[in-house]
Amino acid sequence: MPTLPAEPTHAVTQPFSRSRQAREAEETLTHLVNDFDDNPESMDYFYDLFRRVFCQGESLEREGVLVGTTCIHAPEELIYALGATPVRLCNGSYHYDQIGAEFMPAKSCPLVKATLGLLQDPHAVPRVGKLDLIVNPTTCDQKKKSGALMTALGHTVYDLEVPPSKDTEHSRVYWQRSVRALTERLCQLTGRRLTRRNLRAAMARTSRAQAAFRVLHEHRRAAPSLVLGKDVFLVTNAFFFDDIDRWTAAVERLNAEIAGRAAAGFQAAQTKAPRILFTGSPPIFPNLKLPLLIEQSGGVVVADETCSANRMLYDMTAVDEWHLPDMVDSLADKYLKPCTCPTFTNNEDRRRRLLDLARTFQVDGVVYQVFAGCQVYEMEQKSVADTLQRAGFPMLAIETDYSPDDLGQLTTRIEAFLESLKARKRHRPT
Amino acid sequence: MKANRPALAALRAAVNGVDLNRFRFWVQLASFAFFLYGGYAAVNLGSHLPLFACVYNRVGTAGAGAGVCYLMPLQLQLARPWNTLFTGASLFILTGLGIFMLWFLALNKAWCGFVCPLGTIQDWLTALRRFVRIRYSVYTQSQFDWLKKIKYLLLALAVLIPLGIGNGYITRELRAPICQICPGRVLLPLFSGDYSHWNIDFTSTTTVVMTALGVLITGLFLVGAFVKKRFYCFFCPMSAFLFLLSKPALLRLKKDGSKCTRCGDCYRVCDMQIKAIADDVVTADIMADDCTLCLKCVAACPETGALKVKYAGLTIFEATETGFIKRCQKEHCRANASR
Amino acid sequence: MSCFAGLDIGSTAIKVALVDSDGRLVGVHVAATGSHFHHNAQEALQTLLTRHGLAREQVRYLIATGYGRKLFKEADDSISEITANALGAHEVGKAFGGVRTIINIGGQDSKAILIDAQGNVANFAMNDKCAAGTGRFLDVSARNLGLDLDELGACHLSSTGTPLAINSTCTVFAESEIIGLLARGHGKPEIVAGIHYSIAKRTVRLAKRVGIEDRVYFDGGPALNKGLVAALQDELQRELVVPEFPQTTTAFGAAILARSEFLAEASLSSSAA
Repeated sequence: MPTLPAEPTHAVTQPFSRSRQAREAEETLTHLVNDFDDNPESMDYFYDLFRRVFCQGESLEREGVLVGTTCIHAPEELIYALGATPVRLCNGSYHYDQIGAEFMPAKSCPLVKATLGLLQDPHAVPRVGKLDLIVNPTTCDQKKKSGALMTALGHTVYDLEVPPSKDTEHSRVYWQRSVRALTERLCQLTGRRLTRRNLRAAMARTSRAQAAFRVLHEHRRAAPSLVLGKDVFLVTNAFFFDDIDRWTAAVERLNAEIAGRAAAGFQAAQTKAPRILFTGSPPIFPNLKLPLLIEQSGGVVVADETCSANRMLYDMTAVDEWHLPDMVDSLADKYLKPCTCPTFTNNEDRRRRLLDLARTFQVDGVVYQVFAGCQVYEMEQKSVADTLQRAGFPMLAIETDYSPDDLGQLTTRIEAFLESLKARKRHRPT
Repeated sequence: MKANRPALAALRAAVNGVDLNRFRFWVQLASFAFFLYGGYAAVNLGSHLPLFACVYNRVGTAGAGAGVCYLMPLQLQLARPWNTLFTGASLFILTGLGIFMLWFLALNKAWCGFVCPLGTIQDWLTALRRFVRIRYSVYTQSQFDWLKKIKYLLLALAVLIPLGIGNGYITRELRAPICQICPGRVLLPLFSGDYSHWNIDFTSTTTVVMTALGVLITGLFLVGAFVKKRFYCFFCPMSAFLFLLSKPALLRLKKDGSKCTRCGDCYRVCDMQIKAIADDVVTADIMADDCTLCLKCVAACPETGALKVKYAGLTIFEATETGFIKRCQKEHCRANASR
Repeated sequence: MSCFAGLDIGSTAIKVALVDSDGRLVGVHVAATGSHFHHNAQEALQTLLTRHGLAREQVRYLIATGYGRKLFKEADDSISEITANALGAHEVGKAFGGVRTIINIGGQDSKAILIDAQGNVANFAMNDKCAAGTGRFLDVSARNLGLDLDELGACHLSSTGTPLAINSTCTVFAESEIIGLLARGHGKPEIVAGIHYSIAKRTVRLAKRVGIEDRVYFDGGPALNKGLVAALQDELQRELVVPEFPQTTTAFGAAILARSEFLAEASLSSSAA
């Protein structure tokens, strides 16, 4: 087994850039940038970032302890507080999906397969470096079982126990205990103590990032749209691995530019472009297939309820007293209580959230993405469709995976859906 | 939102972004001074007040405070025979109740959260605890569920014991029983230099028991409020009484469940541990029986429009995303400054 | 005289339809897609025009639909075949009292569409991942039985015994099953009926996903097959509305839309003038 080079290189590595993974990323980026006119200038930071990291194989390795996470349930503030860097490992590459398929059953979640594919390759891209620990929350079945597979690949895995329900008092207490146990494990790993000061500083950084995201989220309300969904997904996907302070600054610049565009009366999409709420299995770069397709076909994704975008950055923490136990418990509550992940027993909160987003953002229709093999999202499909349709929002459910083969079929469905939305708008009295 | 006028919008934004806790601190301080020393400025708001401004708080023969808690007059007035209670001779009890209700309906339970001197003392004890960096205690859900019934029991006793006295079943020594065990009687006169209420009265067994109970409960009050936020309010008979009358109040706490993400931020900051504020997404009038309308929940809510404070139908303060972020950033700035 | 054209470029066949300025059907034409679909599409359009004595310039607006719609650059606009099919079926269905559910079995896919009273798509479901239940299944089976496609209907209707169950879910494996049945001496009519029922069952499952509401319209090339129609009616437990030229409903829908889009644009420019 070849070893990792001692000094990670930043130069363009010829053999790598011809790899399938790089080509996938390059193709997606080309579509994201070139298929649309008037991309915001501030987006260049993100386009450039993805090009460097995914196409040219630039190393993301940071100093200090590196903690991989496989789900947004893992509280990142704790990791930052102890001087370590979190890296979200959820992967969107078809290349890694195919590799990971060796470890998983035939019809299983491509996200988990891709993550495993990434982890088994010491020269994987993005070049995250050697992970000191992987925090694997026990959310869905496949993620839960993949922990053991990751251990078998040679990684050190910590199972972060997430309760199957979030309604009861004992599930809340269970989760608070889980988070405290994680804190102890992280202290052990980094050799540092968690203090009021370092946790407060970490929470301040995350809070600033969340505030920047909220402003961007508000901008998406504008009709006609000021910014396209493909850019917002790229921005939130960058949060997985970019330096948090640099990311926040870049988003703040983007927000300022969008505000400027609003004042100048700029439109990023046509007035009649159907406004879409995107929900379901998360689009992860380079698998931005579906949102991209929607926008290439003339729609615009104005809001989303996915864990690679909105859910990851939306909910903010409130702390009553800035003492360590209170701060850690507040964090725990914030990660559990508002979470609309389908792995919980009932999805009342998710349905309410979708209705609220649909109404506030004045969407014309909802697109529900389900990865082939994802039982939880598939099982929630009917209840979500019923709730939305009763409230007058048509929904299109699409089952897909990471392979590019079904693009033609998806195009037909998306186009038919957008056409029916346009027809509805024409016939609906304003 | 009705007005598109930028001035109104700016005013609303400023109000919704205010540092509520600081604002409340000053209101409480001013109220405390007013109700304990207002008598020196010859202010007398009468004896029908919905808070613990104690009648015993006096220097010499003149009243030092600006008014008196209604529970004492109520208990004393109810101590009459059954048959006189329902005649014209007792009409003044109804008028007294009416005046009390008018005071109450103006501010609803915000009397508890912003004005009551006992509430303010508890908040000061909480501040002391935070200063010495001691963690607060909470009740578990099951403890919470059975303890919350105590205030109704005390309210029932406040009515039944005087009736018993009036009809000759109970000794007159138990008159105004709630006042006898109330920490307000023991603590508030201290602020006028009166230590007499710490003494045990050895006149009879009843007085020994009642005064001892008063001192004991005061001790419990001090320790409890130090350890748990607003400890006494959970057992307060005035709180129970006010809630039962709160239907027509002008100041209201409203929740819009469709905007609520159930993040529980409001529950985290609630001194009274009211879960419904976070979990109930159906009820619009979300003020629970324990609620003191301190409005910490509204300040801690990041979802615009989820929680609103309305006065006579007009929204005067509401949760907003920008307000939340502003307060958040202020908190973090304060932390950085204190380094 | 102005006319408007709809061009349905499918994987097996190209269908063209022309409507006049009143929205009435002028004529239809079906040709094989072949390997040079662009050339064949243009030829098909020209053939239809010549047949009705019209010149290319008289076509005021052309809408392309079907798999090849984006690549036919001469079209004024393109639209998904689902929307086109819905419009066409709605229009044709008026003569039958209005239709709500549309079942389309094409060469390589099958669809179910639910429309509202105005002909707008309310819901749809597609099977475009598997050839079972599509025209391809009929092709393969006919070949194996030594029959022509247009003989299948008559063969089915001449059957006297119960239709044989075809258990294979896959078109390719069904081939061996059919050969096996023949070898065991079963009659062709019963086998053909079995094939039709197999397709019908699959199609009804698809239709249930969108909702089966009166009336049900059946189109696509295989709708010419009377045996398949019988089997489908039996499985649905209701009568189907089958148009005279079922292959061309989608093209007709595209032509109708071409007319309304042209008129909408014309009124805008005249009001702006």
